[in-house]
Amino acid sequence: MGAARYLYSVASTGMAEKLGNIGIEEKPVYTVPYRDIAAVIHSCEPRPYETDDERLAEEWILEHAYVIDQATIRFGTVLPVSFDVILRGDDLAVKDWLSRNYIRLRQELERVKGKSEYSVQIFYDYDKMASRVLRDNPDLEGLKSRLEKEPKGKAYLLQRSLDMKLQDLVSSETSRLADRFCSEIRQLTEDLKVEDRRTWRDERFRGKKLLASYSCLISRDNVERLGEALEDIDRLQGLFVRFTGPWSPFSFVSLEA
Amino acid sequence: MRPERESCLVEVLDRLLNRGVVLNADLIISVAGVPLIGLNLRAALASMETMLNYGMMESWDKSARDWHALHGNARPLEDGETLVFKAFGYLWQEQGIVSCCLPGTWYLTDKRLFLWRSEKAVFEVPLQSICLLNDAPSLERSEMELVHSGGSARIRLPQLEAFRDKLEEALKSARALKA
Repeated sequence: MGAARYLYSVASTGMAEKLGNIGIEEKPVYTVPYRDIAAVIHSCEPRPYETDDERLAEEWILEHAYVIDQATIRFGTVLPVSFDVILRGDDLAVKDWLSRNYIRLRQELERVKGKSEYSVQIFYDYDKMASRVLRDNPDLEGLKSRLEKEPKGKAYLLQRSLDMKLQDLVSSETSRLADRFCSEIRQLTEDLKVEDRRTWRDERFRGKKLLASYSCLISRDNVERLGEALEDIDRLQGLFVRFTGPWSPFSFVSLEA
Repeated sequence: MRPERESCLVEVLDRLLNRGVVLNADLIISVAGVPLIGLNLRAALASMETMLNYGMMESWDKSARDWHALHGNARPLEDGETLVFKAFGYLWQEQGIVSCCLPGTWYLTDKRLFLWRSEKAVFEVPLQSICLLNDAPSLERSEMELVHSGGSARIRLPQLEAFRDKLEEALKSARALKA
């Protein structure tokens, strides 16, 4: 037995169980319970997983994610622990940590019970949005038709001012839409976080601009309704939706215990 | 519309590295007083995050950024402040007999140095208050001591040399500005 414990998640179970050799580098994973909660762990040496090899790092992280998924299947929604969080000491130290943080962990488990995290991004096509805005603004339409009759120099200046006006209008239109979608989606979620970092890469949305990005905590019964709402948005002209999940509630358990 | 989970590696990495439960610093493992939470690994992937951040700035137009400034999470930089250097690292604090180590993102701007964590600055010092940079032999290679008017702090980050250069430069220009 190693002198430290690698943590994967905290689950709702009072049982000491073995989950098999499913851990990082095929380490045997098991639970250490305290009352009705348990830490899902493997025994390790007291040093972190470190490497310069990006592929190995990815492998470890995917293995960690796999254990979280397996624990979720077995025990229901768990509190996912960040990668490479290692507790010094043996199973008793784990139990001690659970007991000292029992109330908070229990509350958090209650809060995420029967829920999962989903990630939503809404993209738009600038040109499509611009032509829609143009249609709704007869003055600009008029300006555009005048362009063709003007001499080159003046046409250039007119074009520039048209582009700038159009940009402003597209801006306010996307802000308006983002506000609307945010409140629509929020109604279907238990909790919603507006994300301001791009945490994914997806070739399908290349060249599209991002209108909004959310992490949503949703109870299982509501996933279908959210899917329908997103489908409606996706059907709108020039708008595209990316919808991923279910994830363990990573974005909603920022607690330090 | 059905949610999908395939081809989301970057999303998985972000979740596992930047989100989820973490332990209080006094419980995590450390070797000879130097805390280790996969420092290199996180740093390697943190630079990816920075890269993605820049990608975001390209493809997000102004309206989306304005909207997020209004509705989004707290942002580390203040208006009129310029970012000089940013890297994942630690602050090592000694308060009486208790010593603890805070992981986070170090931000060096033209005005201040701060450690950003959980959407707030947990340690902050204006450049003008920084008196001295030390690397005493007892300290670890990737660690330095910063003496400021309110006390001292130990900073640990993998790209210490680059950080130190930038910090010295920033201090020089801050002093020049004052004089």
